Amino acid sequence: MDHWRVDTAQGPLSQYTSREHLDTFLRQIAAVGFEAIETFDFHLGVMRELFGSLAACREFMRSRGIDRVLSLFHAVMYDERQSTPHVRATHERMFQYARHIMESSQGLGVQNFIVMPAGLYYDVEPVTDDKIRACAELWSRIGRMTLDYGIRTCCHHEFFCGIRSAEELRKFYEWSDPRYVYYYCDTAQHVIADVDPVALYERLHERCGGFHLKDTHHIDTSGDYRRRPDAEIMAPTTPRWFWEMGTAAGLVDFPALYRAMQRHGYRGWVGVEHDKADIGGSNYPESTAVAAWYIRKVLDPIYS
Amino acid sequence: MRPSLPIDGAVRWGYATNHWKPGFMGFARREEHERAFKVTAACGFSAIELTAGSGRWEPLGRPESIALNYGSLAGFRSMLAEWGISAVASIYYDPGQMSFDDLHHGLSPLDEAQHAEILRIASLHLDSLAALGGHCLVVRPAPSHWQTGEPDAAALDRVARCWAAVAGAAQERGLVVGLHVDSLSALRSLAAIESLLERLPGKAVGLAIDTAELAIAGHDVVALYRQLHRRVVHFQFKDAMARDELGEYRLPNAERALIQAGGERRVARWFGELDTGPGLVDFPGLASAIRELGYRGWIIVESDRGPAPVAAGMMTNAWYVQRVLAPIVAGLTPALP
Repeated sequence: MDHWRVDTAQGPLSQYTSREHLDTFLRQIAAVGFEAIETFDFHLGVMRELFGSLAACREFMRSRGIDRVLSLFHAVMYDERQSTPHVRATHERMFQYARHIMESSQGLGVQNFIVMPAGLYYDVEPVTDDKIRACAELWSRIGRMTLDYGIRTCCHHEFFCGIRSAEELRKFYEWSDPRYVYYYCDTAQHVIADVDPVALYERLHERCGGFHLKDTHHIDTSGDYRRRPDAEIMAPTTPRWFWEMGTAAGLVDFPALYRAMQRHGYRGWVGVEHDKADIGGSNYPESTAVAAWYIRKVLDPIYS
Repeated sequence: MRPSLPIDGAVRWGYATNHWKPGFMGFARREEHERAFKVTAACGFSAIELTAGSGRWEPLGRPESIALNYGSLAGFRSMLAEWGISAVASIYYDPGQMSFDDLHHGLSPLDEAQHAEILRIASLHLDSLAALGGHCLVVRPAPSHWQTGEPDAAALDRVARCWAAVAGAAQERGLVVGLHVDSLSALRSLAAIESLLERLPGKAVGLAIDTAELAIAGHDVVALYRQLHRRVVHFQFKDAMARDELGEYRLPNAERALIQAGGERRVARWFGELDTGPGLVDFPGLASAIRELGYRGWIIVESDRGPAPVAAGMMTNAWYVQRVLAPIVAGLTPALP
């Protein structure tokens, strides 16, 4: 998942700023062994602009050793005035926007449409059964539609989103249609929310559409997840929530997850994420290479 | 997750460490080494080149410093192996650098009175290399041109005697010495380089070709390699972004005035990563020549004085080595971009 920024003479810029920056980015991640990228759906426009078409963009990516855009993260401004999953009145607009993304993303090889299944926790609370049911209805409907495009709708539970606790997760997956709604396992987000990602994967493995493997050094013990205005980068307790795999203070048990994946015969893509890896002086390329080292040295042998 | 494309064959590839430590501070802690070498291994490079240095902030600069930080050379090698690095292929040693440990402000191969001390210190690094699975002690054979001018025959004789002694010590350990002629070296011309090599017969000493340094000094690197290939014992690969067209190697303190400050043209960075800009070095041509002329040994890739984040330059170079240069050197078809 490419949260990257490229250091330039103009300061940090998106790698989608130019073909040259994107070329360098693709070479760097291909060099350490990655075969696909995940990105946000708001990059579709610039991809088309830089290459003329998404098919031409994919061709360029393949020439650098990157096969596809595996997943698009759906970037929606959740607001109950127009789009938020727990408000049924906004569902039609959200459905049409998701369909627009399906229509406009052909050519990249996308397999997953990743969504945050509920709004920010403080916008949703109190989190009632009816609100969770509303979310389940929306994503079941959208998930059915995206499968018509060959793309799975996968729900990714940020620690600050409205469906985050073990009980909320249980209800959401019970009430959403298992044919259309997939689970996306973001290891760090669950640990921060004090949910065991291995146990959750064990329970939802048949619905698991993929992974964001990243680590954390902290569990949210003081309710940062519901703190206004922001939990992700403005929590007073924790300047940096997310870390690459392979740091000494990491809390995620990745080998246990891999053993569970092997036990359940998982076959498919595994994503690695470097979310805000530049906080505190680190950087995206180094974090990516260190995670690649960890996969080869620690995780790959579990599957081999 | 694709394994890194294989790059090692008869020619082995490694990566220098100089870009991780651009100044005195930084890259002094073990956890910094660990991350750097994991990045190196993740990029497919199984060996590194160290830079000789002195003082407490240079923990990898000499054998006693390594022992202080890792217990012993064997302990260091064991940790490297744990991180995916199988060998220290080479060590770069410039006798002209000041040394806290040896209490001098720079030694010169032109001064015969200093030869014994250069040999003693070089032997320390040769011992390190032997213990760390290495092959080549890369040395700066002569001071900068601005310090000494072009050496005459007598000066070349003195320089040759210095490195012949070091080469003898290398040979005793099954190692070689590579003369690294850089862009400021007193050895400006191909004739001067050849003259020095002629004074140093044998297989224990030869030329270490640093592609960028020689290109900045005005050499055609591929032609130079073809001319001197029988004496080439080591390569350092990095690109050059500009030539020293104004002859500013003559400036006093050209290391600062030209290389760091950019000279009159204010060149922002003389060096560049492979295939990332209008570089001067024909790397596919050089790789083809290496294949054709049967070079056997190490090629060390460098991101010398690279901008932060240093991992980015290494990863960019790794891609080009994996997909273009290593296949050419191995006689395969490269995946040219």
